[in-house]
Amino acid sequence: MSAFSTLPQSKDRQDFYEERRLTGRIRVVQSMFVAVLIVYVMAFWYLQIVKADYYLKLSDNNRLRRETLQPMRGVITDRERRVLASNRIAFNIQLDREAVPDMAAFLPEMSAILTTDEETLRNRLSRYRRRPAFIPVVLKEDVDLAEAAYIESRRLELPMLSVDLEARRFYQHGSLAAHVLGHVGEATDAQIGSREKGEIEMGEIIGQMGLERSFDDALRGRSGWKQVVVNNLGRTIQDVDVGRRPTPGHAIRLTIDMDLQRVLEEAFGDEAGSAVFLDPHSGEVLAMASRPGFDPNVFAGRFSQDTWNALMTDRRHPLQDRASLSKFAPGSIFKIVMTVAALEDGFAGPGRVENCTGSWRLGRKSLRCWAINKGGHGLTNLRDAIVHSCNVYFYKLGYEMGIERIARWARAFGFGSRTGIDLPHEEAGTVPDPQWKARAYPSDPTWHPGETTSVSIGQGALEVTPLQMAVFSAAIGNGGTLYRPHIVLSRETQEGVDELVQDDYVAGRVELRPRTLRFIRDAMWGVVNEDGTGRRARLAGRDVCAKTGTAQVARASRDIDADEMRKNLRSHAWFIGFAPRDDPKIAWAVFVQNGGHGGTIAAPIARAVLERFFEKQDLRSEGEAVASASAIR
Amino acid sequence: MLARRQFDNFDSILFFSGLAVAMVGLGVIYSATAGAAMSGPFLRQSLWLLIGLIALTVALTVDYHTLAEFSYLFYGLAILLLVLTLIVGRSVNASQSWLGIGGIQFQPSELAKVATILMLATHLGRERVQGLGFVNFAAITAIVGVPVLLIIRQPDLGTAATFAPLLGGTIFLAGIRVRTLLILALIAALALPIVWGHLKPYQKERVRTFVEPTRDPKGAGYQLMQSHIAVGSGGILGKGFLSGTQGQLQFLPEQHTDFVFAVLAEERGFLGSMAVLALYFLILYRCIAIARAARDRLGVFLVMGVVFVIVGQTLMNIGVVVGLLPTTGVPLPLMSYGGSSLVITLTCFGLVLNVWKRRLVN
Repeated sequence: MSAFSTLPQSKDRQDFYEERRLTGRIRVVQSMFVAVLIVYVMAFWYLQIVKADYYLKLSDNNRLRRETLQPMRGVITDRERRVLASNRIAFNIQLDREAVPDMAAFLPEMSAILTTDEETLRNRLSRYRRRPAFIPVVLKEDVDLAEAAYIESRRLELPMLSVDLEARRFYQHGSLAAHVLGHVGEATDAQIGSREKGEIEMGEIIGQMGLERSFDDALRGRSGWKQVVVNNLGRTIQDVDVGRRPTPGHAIRLTIDMDLQRVLEEAFGDEAGSAVFLDPHSGEVLAMASRPGFDPNVFAGRFSQDTWNALMTDRRHPLQDRASLSKFAPGSIFKIVMTVAALEDGFAGPGRVENCTGSWRLGRKSLRCWAINKGGHGLTNLRDAIVHSCNVYFYKLGYEMGIERIARWARAFGFGSRTGIDLPHEEAGTVPDPQWKARAYPSDPTWHPGETTSVSIGQGALEVTPLQMAVFSAAIGNGGTLYRPHIVLSRETQEGVDELVQDDYVAGRVELRPRTLRFIRDAMWGVVNEDGTGRRARLAGRDVCAKTGTAQVARASRDIDADEMRKNLRSHAWFIGFAPRDDPKIAWAVFVQNGGHGGTIAAPIARAVLERFFEKQDLRSEGEAVASASAIR
Repeated sequence: MLARRQFDNFDSILFFSGLAVAMVGLGVIYSATAGAAMSGPFLRQSLWLLIGLIALTVALTVDYHTLAEFSYLFYGLAILLLVLTLIVGRSVNASQSWLGIGGIQFQPSELAKVATILMLATHLGRERVQGLGFVNFAAITAIVGVPVLLIIRQPDLGTAATFAPLLGGTIFLAGIRVRTLLILALIAALALPIVWGHLKPYQKERVRTFVEPTRDPKGAGYQLMQSHIAVGSGGILGKGFLSGTQGQLQFLPEQHTDFVFAVLAEERGFLGSMAVLALYFLILYRCIAIARAARDRLGVFLVMGVVFVIVGQTLMNIGVVVGLLPTTGVPLPLMSYGGSSLVITLTCFGLVLNVWKRRLVN
């Protein structure tokens, strides 16, 4: 049979052996292929005979479904690991659209069962129109146990409706720190698939505001999925051994102290405004509030549109974060910046004296001091000008210094740019100067001397956020270091392991002469502890240093409605400071919108927080004295 | 007498096994595409079968020694077409592997298979030296490597992979020394991370999905899962013609191309699968017999080249269907829908029959 035997005899023996070897190798090839074929026969045997029933069941039902498993969102705690946001179980009623032959005919019935109007149901269904029919649509969320039981017990009559369990975001303390925490919500159409890290799927709950948003990647976790076999009632009858477990989100620990936060929010009462309390040596936010507040729990679900609309149209704008997103004229507290600039650049020494007669004539205009009715402050030195907040003194000082110099110092302290806080949004505010004027007002691009004097007392186009003020106040307290304020202390990287988000938050430094610092601190000490404007914040033995500010409302701020102009005419109250004077442990900015005079309404709010802060500090040092172990950090 | 001699020179077992598989393939394609309201694929594939039979006749008629003389021409032409494809080709599924001539689309990569087989056989048929030296090894690698690199550029990793058995098998057959083999294995092991680095993300995903099928449920993992269900649910006797739910309800992706065997297994069951596997075995068995009966080394390497490509591809495709190999996108010879593949496969059959016909020295 072999063809090689018939080859010409001229071939030598080597060729003969090579031919035999070739034949052998062909046999090896054949055996290998046959071996693979035998393996395949066994594979078919296994799939089609051994496992036939299993696969037949899968294909018979032909209802192999993919279910998304939502991850558990990471918990948010305060600096003492007390929970601020976690998750709870909620019951949702969902509809299997495949089980409804005629949706239009079924809507009225469904509307009656779910006690929800048809229009709402139609809207909820319409979002899913282009999605595969086997994906269930949540029609009513977070129903109580009774309603869930009602639906569950009618599976036979209403096979298309089912109850689904879902982990829902839960803010234990309601509106406490609402603007810091933010809230979650169902991903909007624009957000679906838009984020690079981990594609967001339809129906997924993601962070929409506050820390929930800026730390969403850490908090959200990674969704899992499983394949399930469902029967003709749409009920899961079997899990198929395929899928991926959801990865829970990572917990984050805040720098916020819940006790201080609570005291702060309560101290505000019904007033609108905001406050930020910082650790002046790290930029850690100890408390940060914006009033009026809102309950982020109302956003935790899917259908928050109605609630959203109600909050959006509320005249008091509870959703607005007044600490980082609202900007206001700083009023008299800007005199601190002016004083620093004057001392550092040699425009004034502590001995400079001006005579305040209650007003000062600049050109044709007469500029008033708030003490005009008392006949002015009289002969005033720099320290008295701060303690008593004399305008005339600073009009003259500012006029001499010029706007460029003032603006440069304001910017050096971070005004006019974002602080870089770890929240999703922040306003930069405005530090006006001639270049800014030319850009912002093309119709009147000239800078007028009167504008310089307005800025000198913290009015005019100058706008700052309370957050920036807190950073500034901390910088005066700590000797000139500007910290990036931050709310998140550490992030859990894996079970039980925390990692600092960042080690060093130094954002900049303003070099100040010790003499200047000593003078400013002493003057601010006087504001509170002598007969100054901030005496309501006095705390015995704590050496509170502060400055009040009363920003005149020359025009309606953006977040005040014109309807409220009457109250709107009242000035905004500021109160910034740090304590204790010699080794500050806390620095703050309190802002009360239309609160009148800073010393009257804003100072007591700060005092309440300081009281609690030092009380805790004393307790802690007592504890440390007993067992030399630190309780915090 | 003439008729009888003609019959002796024609391996009817090989021919009719191949034809039977092609007919079964037509039936499965009909079934797989019936639900999709398009009878086009069935009719078009029938036409391609006729064209393929003509190609087979041509490949059988001209003496393979004459074909070998022109192997450089064929090979050069194939390379030229592959280059042309990269420049002006048409993209399907993100790879640019189609070339249009007149109104007909075809894949030059399929043509390159025959040209490469012929080229290898011509090269090795001339050699009389014992074993495979390093120079020859390099030559063989280059002959296979050039078209493979061009096909990878398209990028059509699946088709490129079908050249792997050809290269490996031919090297083995030519008698590579064990020491060379070990050195090559070492080089391959070192090169693997580099190759991995150059793979496209979807290609990496396929390999990963194979190693961990539950990784990617919507993509390749889904295909594997659905393929398993199709095959497994066929049971012993199958669900019957046009009754395979997996295939009919479009659960299976690429059901008339890469997963055509899964549709067959679902509708015809274990017995149907075994019957077709038996036909493929007959093809293998006859090809090996013809290789051993070949008159010269040229014939041996020609037939074995065909075995490596066709049988290798068959095993690759079915291995994917039963979940023993990662998804590669290799069509099943003779059964999968696709004109180029069918015509080229039948041309290869023509070459094998050619060697059988001229096994005896006249």
